[in-house]
Amino acid sequence: MSRDRAIRFRIFPLKSIQSNISLAFSLLILAAIVLTSLVSYQVSVDAVERNSKGYIEEIIKQVNMNIQSYVDNMENISLLALTNKDVKYYISDNSFISSGDRRIYEKQISDLFQAILYTRNDIASIMVFGYNGRFVSDRRITNLNPNAKLQEQAWYKMAKSEGGKSVISAPHVQNIVQNEYRWVVSLSRELKSTDGITAEGVFLVDLNLSVINDICSNINLGKKGYLFIVDKNGNIVYHPQQQLIDSKLRSERIADVVQASSGSSFIAKDGEGKRIYSVQDTNFGWKIAGVAYTDDLIASKDELRNSILLYSLCGLTISLLISVWLSHRLSKPIKELQSDMKQVEKGNFDIQTEIGQMNEIGQLGRSFNLMVSRTKFLMEETIHNQENKRKSELLLLQSQINPHFLYNTLDSIVWMAEQKQHEEVVLMTSALAKLFRASITKDQELVPIRVEIEHITNYLLIQKMRYEEELDYYIDIDESILSYKTLKILLQPFVENAIYHGIRNMYGIEDGRITIRGRQSNDQIVFEVEDNGLGMTPEQLGKIRFNGEEDARNQGIGIRNVNERIKLYFGHEYGIHIRSEIEVGTCVTITIPKLE
Amino acid sequence: MRKQRFTIWLTLAVCTVAIYAIFNYKLIFGVSHPDRNVTVILKSLNVRLDFWQAVNKGAEAAAKEMGVELNVVGPLQENDANDQMRILEEAIAAKPEAIVIAPIIDDRLPAILAKARAAGIQLVVIDTPLELNPAPVLVSNDHMEAGKLAGRTAVDETKGHPTVAIISDRADSKISAERLSGLRQVLEPFNNSIIGVYYAENSEDTAYEAAKQLLAEDKPFNTFITLNESATAGVAKLLHEQNKSGVLSLIGFDSSVDEIQWLEAGTLRAAIVQKPFNMGYLGVKAALKLIDGNRVDPITYIESNVITQENMYTPENQKLLFPFINNK
Repeated sequence: MSRDRAIRFRIFPLKSIQSNISLAFSLLILAAIVLTSLVSYQVSVDAVERNSKGYIEEIIKQVNMNIQSYVDNMENISLLALTNKDVKYYISDNSFISSGDRRIYEKQISDLFQAILYTRNDIASIMVFGYNGRFVSDRRITNLNPNAKLQEQAWYKMAKSEGGKSVISAPHVQNIVQNEYRWVVSLSRELKSTDGITAEGVFLVDLNLSVINDICSNINLGKKGYLFIVDKNGNIVYHPQQQLIDSKLRSERIADVVQASSGSSFIAKDGEGKRIYSVQDTNFGWKIAGVAYTDDLIASKDELRNSILLYSLCGLTISLLISVWLSHRLSKPIKELQSDMKQVEKGNFDIQTEIGQMNEIGQLGRSFNLMVSRTKFLMEETIHNQENKRKSELLLLQSQINPHFLYNTLDSIVWMAEQKQHEEVVLMTSALAKLFRASITKDQELVPIRVEIEHITNYLLIQKMRYEEELDYYIDIDESILSYKTLKILLQPFVENAIYHGIRNMYGIEDGRITIRGRQSNDQIVFEVEDNGLGMTPEQLGKIRFNGEEDARNQGIGIRNVNERIKLYFGHEYGIHIRSEIEVGTCVTITIPKLE
Repeated sequence: MRKQRFTIWLTLAVCTVAIYAIFNYKLIFGVSHPDRNVTVILKSLNVRLDFWQAVNKGAEAAAKEMGVELNVVGPLQENDANDQMRILEEAIAAKPEAIVIAPIIDDRLPAILAKARAAGIQLVVIDTPLELNPAPVLVSNDHMEAGKLAGRTAVDETKGHPTVAIISDRADSKISAERLSGLRQVLEPFNNSIIGVYYAENSEDTAYEAAKQLLAEDKPFNTFITLNESATAGVAKLLHEQNKSGVLSLIGFDSSVDEIQWLEAGTLRAAIVQKPFNMGYLGVKAALKLIDGNRVDPITYIESNVITQENMYTPENQKLLFPFINNK
């Protein structure tokens, strides 16, 4: 049994309604949660990306402003030099009287530069180179690098070609001073004479590249994010991995950045991963680009996903428990109904299932209760009917071996034998024998009408011989009904009644008469047993109809019994009808169906 | 009964999954590897050794790019083999996922490295090849190719008639030997192109003296090729003193501030410069590939650049010669 169940459990893991409801709920909830989680994850990721775009843009703006402030500062220093009279005089064409005078100017200019430099540690050096070959720097003694040709320096050439406008160089190693190799960004500018036309020298301010380097490398754009700067021609000004790009170990989207307008951003996706480029223009020709890896915002993206997952798991757990509980609640009345049904299956019809709420299951329960009570009623009825049938059969049997009738008949035979009426003795004895054979030997309840008529004829023959002139009888049966079936010993009780109650008590009347008729009417067969005896008062008639039981003691089978027998076998529309009039006679009409 | 058991099992399963997910989501979604860590052991961590500092920078660049925890260690003195082995032992004890080592050659080293391997640590050797079975992944400068570059530069400088005096450090130096063999491959097709190979240890003075003697012997040669930094400096000093800068070409290896000045002055005609940054970068990247179980080339060579007076201030060469922005 348990093994059988186990096997079924494996093949149909969800046989019960509860598990099915749980499963359906769980799947629905799962689908809903997965869907909302995915959507909210996507929405959040989009939001994170959008936010980080804005964030990167902000940072780069800040970087831009910082760098701009350094450049502005250099610009201001250059303006200071530009307007300084000493500088102007020093690099102008006029010749000094003595080197001593020159020294004074050099010292004054150098002091000025030193003062500036002292306040600004982002500036590496400040120098002025006159086209007349004189030069001053922020140091007292400046030894120029003999191997670095001034005229070939990029910043020098650019300043000359721009003619008075300041020029920002790309970062480079400044080698103009002997034994000094510094990474700087140079701002250079050609100086004009007082007339504003003649060019007289080049002014140089070097900004320590470390300043820009620090700004850029301290920017935090996520774990892997970084910032780089290109000039308008796409040359790298600053890139944390410039050496790798130079060695072609790494590529950078420089062309895209150069194309991009200030404040715009674009997304690049390749083998290195998805990244957001945000570009800002400085107003001296550089482009600053911030690069952030979207999966680097992973810190938040991962957390986001995990928290969403966590919450959905919690939600799922709770809703699964709820769904199990709900399905249990829903299926509980069904299970109760089921167990009640099992009781009925076992034969307990006294059960009435409890009806909770009047929902579908409540209605089901009500119908079940109705059905059970109806079944119970029918069952009881059937049992009752069976009892009655058996009782009536028993009575029938008794009636056939009615001892009075037998004694009387045997008395008659003895009497006739004493009278030596041999023929009558033979006749009566054979009729008696036929009578008993007909009723005892055959078990069937239903017999052809022919047999029943034979039986009643034998019976009447015996009675006729007993009562002689007192009794007369006529049998009038339609030939066509002889082969239809009827209940056994249907007519005998009525004939018996007619003789014992109707005719025998008619003292002095010689011609007691019993008429038996049989005919068909539509699909019924109608028998009539009519006598011209005493008849009955309506009171007696009522007694017979309703208290047949009392009569039965005296008369074998009661009228009511026969009536019941007919109804049991053929249905309620069949039965007997008694018509009687005092002093005139009684007529019993028996109606049965036509049965082949 | 069955239904209740089913319910219990379902609840249990869901709870288990939930708890597992909470505590082990990193295992489930192995996207981030915060645990990946690499130890780089250099020949020296001395801040004044630009070469190793650049390797360090390259390693850091790779670590940042790949999101790895990086630990760079090394002895203070460049040839302190004992100290390096001690550091290596310490690193193995810390059980990183990979060790990138620039080995100082010593007989005891392979045994220690074998121990690291036995501990399941991935091994990448950079800079100097190492005898080990099975051979470790190597990321190194292509010294032979560098030698060939020097040879070709000599051929160009002498317009196809190189007669070369080579000054090396030691005959058993692996790097110098490879450079020499590259040189020989290029120069030997020319007649009498190599007048001799001389060894000056790591001493500037010895190189100076050797070169002086060569000049005194009045041998007919037109090019010095010096295979290490000290020899370059010694010979350059001599050529400068004797005003032979324009007459004799000097081709050296590696870079230093001195060499840069000799380059600017034109005394040093060309320097063959390595890319230590790339070595550090590719070394760490190779280590990460090994950790992730990807295919790695057994040997990755890093090219060298020929730097001359003319191209020394181009943007990319500036970066090679002056790798650090924050120097004084």
